[in-house]
Amino acid sequence: MGRIPSSYLGNRIVTLFLTIFIAATLIWIIPRLSPVDPAEIALGRMAAGAGTVGNSEDILAQLRAQLGIDQPWFVQYAKYLWGIVQFDFGLSTANFPTPVSALIANALPWTLGLMLISITITFFIGNLLGALMVWDHSPKLVKVAIPAAMVLTSIPPILSALLLMWIFSAKLRLFPLTGAYGLTVEPGWTWDFVQSVLYHGFLPALSIVVVTFGFWALGMRGLMIGVQGEDYTTLAKAKGLRPRYILYKYMIRNAILPQITAFALKIGMLIAGQVLVERIFAYNGMGKLLYDAILDQDFPVIQGVSFVIILMTAFSVFLVDLIYPLIDPRIRHGR
Amino acid sequence: MTTQNAAGAAKPDLSARQIRRMKRFDNPWRNPKLTWGAALILGIVAMGILGRIFWNMDLVFTGSAPLKLPPLGFENLRGQPGQTDFPLGTDGAGRDLLALIVIGAPNSLFVGLLASIIGMSIGIFLGFSAGFLGGRTDDTIRILSDVMITIPPLLILVVFQAAFGDVSLTLMAILIAAFMWQSPTRLIRAQVLSMRESGYVQMARLSGASTMHIMFREMMPNLVPYLFGSFIANVTTSIVTAVGLEVLGLGPQRIPTLGRIIYEAINSGALIQNLWWWWGLPTILLAVMFIGLLLINLGLDEVSNPRLRKL
Amino acid sequence: MTILDIKNISIDFPTSKGVVHAVSNFSLSVPQGRRVGFIGESGSGKTTTALAAMRMLAAPGYVSEGEIHLHSLGDTNVLELSDDEMRRVRLKKIAYIPQGAMNSLNPVMRIENQIWDGIVAHEGHVERAELQRRSRTVLESVGLPASVGRLYPHELSGGMKQRVCIAIGVCLKPDLLIADEPTSALDVITQRQVMQTLREVQETIGAGLILIGHDMGLMAQSVDDLAVMKLGKLVEYGTVRQIIENPQHEYTKQLISSVPLVGGESFIESTPEILRGEAGPLLEFDKVTKRYGNVTALHPLSFSLDGEVPKIISVVGQSGSGKSTMGSLMLGFNAPTEGTVTFRGKDINRLNKADALTFRKDVQAVFQDPYACFNPFYRVDHALKFPFKRFGLAKSESHTRQAMEEACVAVGLDPSLVLRRYPHQLSGGQRQRLIVARALMLSPKLLIADEPVSMVDASLRAAILKNIHDLKDKHGISILYITHDLATAYHVSDYVMVLYHGRVVEAGPPKEVIGSPQHPYTRLLIDSIPWPDLDRDWGSAKDAAAGLDALATGEAAAQSVFRGDITGFDLSVHA
Repeated sequence: MGRIPSSYLGNRIVTLFLTIFIAATLIWIIPRLSPVDPAEIALGRMAAGAGTVGNSEDILAQLRAQLGIDQPWFVQYAKYLWGIVQFDFGLSTANFPTPVSALIANALPWTLGLMLISITITFFIGNLLGALMVWDHSPKLVKVAIPAAMVLTSIPPILSALLLMWIFSAKLRLFPLTGAYGLTVEPGWTWDFVQSVLYHGFLPALSIVVVTFGFWALGMRGLMIGVQGEDYTTLAKAKGLRPRYILYKYMIRNAILPQITAFALKIGMLIAGQVLVERIFAYNGMGKLLYDAILDQDFPVIQGVSFVIILMTAFSVFLVDLIYPLIDPRIRHGR
Repeated sequence: MTTQNAAGAAKPDLSARQIRRMKRFDNPWRNPKLTWGAALILGIVAMGILGRIFWNMDLVFTGSAPLKLPPLGFENLRGQPGQTDFPLGTDGAGRDLLALIVIGAPNSLFVGLLASIIGMSIGIFLGFSAGFLGGRTDDTIRILSDVMITIPPLLILVVFQAAFGDVSLTLMAILIAAFMWQSPTRLIRAQVLSMRESGYVQMARLSGASTMHIMFREMMPNLVPYLFGSFIANVTTSIVTAVGLEVLGLGPQRIPTLGRIIYEAINSGALIQNLWWWWGLPTILLAVMFIGLLLINLGLDEVSNPRLRKL
Repeated sequence: MTILDIKNISIDFPTSKGVVHAVSNFSLSVPQGRRVGFIGESGSGKTTTALAAMRMLAAPGYVSEGEIHLHSLGDTNVLELSDDEMRRVRLKKIAYIPQGAMNSLNPVMRIENQIWDGIVAHEGHVERAELQRRSRTVLESVGLPASVGRLYPHELSGGMKQRVCIAIGVCLKPDLLIADEPTSALDVITQRQVMQTLREVQETIGAGLILIGHDMGLMAQSVDDLAVMKLGKLVEYGTVRQIIENPQHEYTKQLISSVPLVGGESFIESTPEILRGEAGPLLEFDKVTKRYGNVTALHPLSFSLDGEVPKIISVVGQSGSGKSTMGSLMLGFNAPTEGTVTFRGKDINRLNKADALTFRKDVQAVFQDPYACFNPFYRVDHALKFPFKRFGLAKSESHTRQAMEEACVAVGLDPSLVLRRYPHQLSGGQRQRLIVARALMLSPKLLIADEPVSMVDASLRAAILKNIHDLKDKHGISILYITHDLATAYHVSDYVMVLYHGRVVEAGPPKEVIGSPQHPYTRLLIDSIPWPDLDRDWGSAKDAAAGLDALATGEAAAQSVFRGDITGFDLSVHA
């Protein structure tokens, strides 16, 4: 068992690389269509630092050579693609000469950590609650309380982040306002540090969980209603199986499959939403990096961060696609 | 109680109220969720129109009012009470929040609607082309939409706006629309593929119907609930994306939008200074907008899938 | 000894328009080891009654009156058991074999797990080796190899899935089996195999059997006692011999007469004067072949149908025999891989715009599924009105009206009752008649009728076939009748082609081909048809399997047997 059909696998790999390629190309083309000259921005920044800059024409040419924008477009494009393959996005202009990849390497673990926790938790909670909304044997409370909570689900995480931050950090002062860990603790594998990370990460994670679980719950509810009407559920009942067993092995097991596909499609939106939450909480992740770069007009960083996030999305989708045949035998046998 | 246990459900109560509730299901469009959702959205539109008529719109300009005044009945940290001239308070740049919201809320809705309309049109076109033409065209469209659906629009738009600077509302809507065609394309393609084999489409072909007739007279009417649902979902996604951009400080710089108001509030430390009305009011309005859209969508789901009409 | 006692059961469904009495005052006992058939049309309450005994009525249905006793539980009323007690009764005491075998198995679970979980739910923990032994035994008892246990449902054919459902039903040796139209989705050959398997295992475990169905022939071949239901009431009950040989109720008589027999009196009176059409070839196949990938759906075939004297040509075969492919080739929905299809001398896949419209007008169809043929968005008259106008037949709005009304009357429908309705407000029979009326209005030269009655209630089939037959006699339309049902083909057609794996294996006038078949496949098909004849030996499950095996290995399968010609139709098969 467990062999994935090669046509399926081939298809996914093509999609993965095509996604990465298209994203990379868009990120490269867009700024080149813009009338803004990055060399002039750099010059402007130097001028702001030094007061005045003499023989600006020479410096501009020099900067252009340094940024590589004096070469023909295809050379630039090829160099760019080659750089990207090696995770080389150039040097940050705001924090010159730190490489963009170093900045991203610092921020990425925070974003990945927060994402794994918040997105997976919501997926599980949401689907379980959605299933319970349909199940005949659920407690009454579930059937009344959850639909009411559904109203929250339409709100994007950024708004819930604002509200939670105001209530718990600004008003009640239960949680810190910003950052991913306390200023007084040294990063490292110490208990203090872990504690601080959890303490700081709680609100950002919560603000994502509160508003996204409902999306899954709603989807699951619709699917469960479909599965409830399926002949195999009827037969399972006629077999005298225990209700809980039917719920897990017959209903949820089948209804979850389209949800996993939906997860793959939704992952981009979720990561984008999380980036915004990070920005609100000034969490030390990609969101903050991106926001700071936007403020500083630090173009290489904006490009790098965008690309890495899209890369994360594409790989997450790819992973989900790889897992899917393992849980749906119909795909595994190439139907 | 024996009736409770008797096969199937318990003996139902057949009171007049219960029958009225059941009757509601006879006409799927008379759906309370749909009504409430539409009411909320229309409420925001009405606020935009009435506000422009009855309120002084010059108050959106910087310095047209005292700074950081609280709404009526509240006091700010400096102990100033709210004033009737600025019933919802003012922001840190001396602008009246009521005026900001009256202009900003319809703007956010406009971006969502426009982006979604453009996205839908592209989606309908591509979906029908893929489903009807098949072969190479279908493969290209299918792979392209599979690829594009995984790219989060926010990131590409961040790159775009960071490079181009200020954009107009319409341009932002068009940019967002470039990422809103994938899901309608996929939906319509799937529906067209299954409908093509359906009895009534074959009957229409037997009746000598043209491709256009089959697409728009036979298939389209049956697609309406799905299209509408997809449209509303896209409006939500577009607004979320637009607000995301605005909160990052991108998007239109000179036109008030709800996201832009929130951005300015956060940037000026409104959270710490307890200027809750500044970011809170646009947040609540956005929440109302999203809840309205969600209710419409839930209602539409129930219209197209009667089995959902339980809750 | 009685195993199940249903006493004065009434079942109600509340709706917004008031309470619907699905079953009223129904009493019946099932003795041990006996087979009881519940027969009636859809909506007659037969399934509802059986589900009530399992306490599995779909909400909001409920039992408003009456008691159900299961003998092995003593005097307890099944309706008064607690939910968990009821759970233990299911499968252990009463097993249910569902209608939709296609979707009755959990698609993500192996077959053996779906047998095991039933055993474990009733017996607690059982050793894995013991479970394996039992699933193997029970699969073998329904004639499936033990290796099927390791497979997933989508890897099985419809007949195999249904036998797995039977295996699950009998694995705990219950007192009573309830089989709800277990063969409705299967073709005749598989139907016989599955029904006989069911009878054999039921006899082995000595359980009672309730068989729900609508086909009197199948009942006659399968059950001992018969309960005839109509509109929620038991209208007649007795041994199957009593009921078939001496039916009392009008409805029972109608059910029996609706089953067409091979031979015997025809339900169709022929009209002496047949309206003649134009002379010359109407439809021609020239070495037409259709392949999908490397599967050949239709082997090279040529024929020519003359239009002067309208005829009904039947194409019979199982699902997958290529008969529907043939239909769609004739309609031009599909282009042949090789060869040409010509209509009145023109290749139908190379028509210019004007000719294409004429072709559409001249060649019409009636499809299998009357539910799908109407666009749910429009009132049903849309399907009649649109082509009438499109083909330029309509002179005015009132002329269209009149034509529609006349066509409705001709097929026995009241135009004022049906035309302005939406599709879901009409019954399957009414819709299929409307489709026939539509064909009549357009007065085509050729009509392709693809399984026109297989989804219509048995009692209406004869009437609809009569309507189609009238199209030939009274309106001069030649008809290609595609069907799996040899008995109706016997009565309506002038010429029969039997298709097997895309080849014509036997062809000729129906009296020869169906009356005394020579090809082993035709014989197998005819042997498999259930008839309301109690003295006929329907054969065992093994016979059915042996027949199929012989076909699969035998040389004869690829050979064609020609049984005589008729004027106006020439057929040739190419190697």
